[in-house]
Amino acid sequence: MTPPDRVLADLAAVVRRTFPDRDFPDAVGPETRVLADLGLASIDIVVLAEQLGTFYGKRLPFGTFLKGLRDRGADDIALGELVTFLQANL
Amino acid sequence: MPEVAANGTRLYYQQAGDGPDVVLVHAVTSNQAIWLFSGLFDALAADHRVTSYDLRGHGQSARPPAGYTSADMADDLAALHAALGLRPAVILGHSFGGVTGLHAAARHPDAVRGVILSDSFFPGLRHVEPNFGKMQLWTEVREKFALVGVTLGDTVDFAELFRQSAALSPEKLSNLEAIYGTFGRGWVRQLPQLAGTTCGDDVMAVAGLTADAIAAVRQPVVALYDEFSPFLATCRWLAANLPACTAEIIPGAKHLAMLENAAGFADAVRRHLARIEHPTGG
Repeated sequence: MTPPDRVLADLAAVVRRTFPDRDFPDAVGPETRVLADLGLASIDIVVLAEQLGTFYGKRLPFGTFLKGLRDRGADDIALGELVTFLQANL
Repeated sequence: MPEVAANGTRLYYQQAGDGPDVVLVHAVTSNQAIWLFSGLFDALAADHRVTSYDLRGHGQSARPPAGYTSADMADDLAALHAALGLRPAVILGHSFGGVTGLHAAARHPDAVRGVILSDSFFPGLRHVEPNFGKMQLWTEVREKFALVGVTLGDTVDFAELFRQSAALSPEKLSNLEAIYGTFGRGWVRQLPQLAGTTCGDDVMAVAGLTADAIAAVRQPVVALYDEFSPFLATCRWLAANLPACTAEIIPGAKHLAMLENAAGFADAVRRHLARIEHPTGG
């Protein structure tokens, strides 16, 4: 399994490359929230999902992941959760 | 990014899966993220080729100043269908997305195998709909806008919503984003951008999709309406007047069945897709 630090670094790089005009915080970590801290909107998640699929060379089941978050009433997505999801699906 | 030039504009789309073609069309002021977040995109992609896209002016698609009637949007859909080389597809459309799908069935019958409507209001059926413009969702929008000093009318008026949003000061817009929270913030942000287009008025235009034109659609149509929908008169009219329409009520939903009753909605969509794709039961 790819180490979480490596996945987080890749994820941060894909986020910055996908949204080059956004003003992201300098340092991000597992607790960084995708919506509240990075300021991404729902359609941005679609774009990010697609770009991560391109980066890793495979389609990732983002819909299942997002529905799981919704089902438990989450109001945001922590980068750490995304890392765990990516690790499980790479 | 996967984009396609279609009908003089640029549409952002996603596609996954193999099998019969299904195209998902979102509502006005929404975007294709709703299909991903509801889990429906992935669920259908297990045994279909699923394509979702952002309507012009929405999400990541281009935002031309004009061309937002259901006729324009149906032509966009047909152009996307052709550009991607899809087979005749079942169109699943939420709200105005359903109007677009049905208009595509009428204008481009070779591209559309069937239509599944989710809680759609048709401007051409305004005369049968006593609850025109009265939606719980709109009431909630009015209440939130009132918190930043904006008075919206008591019936749905997208043009006014866009104008009022564009007139907000940066501070009030920021306050409104905070009121809507992290998941709703993106929805608020896009409203002022639509003020520079004809979208608000265009989506309420009949644009050729009259009651007679609706009743002439020959393809199978499924009318999925929400239990607490304001548009149940429309649902009954469709079931009574279309040659091949099946109506079904989605329990517990108000207008966003794919989120409010995700399991029930997905189950209904899958059952009706199977029926349309295997009409003899084989």
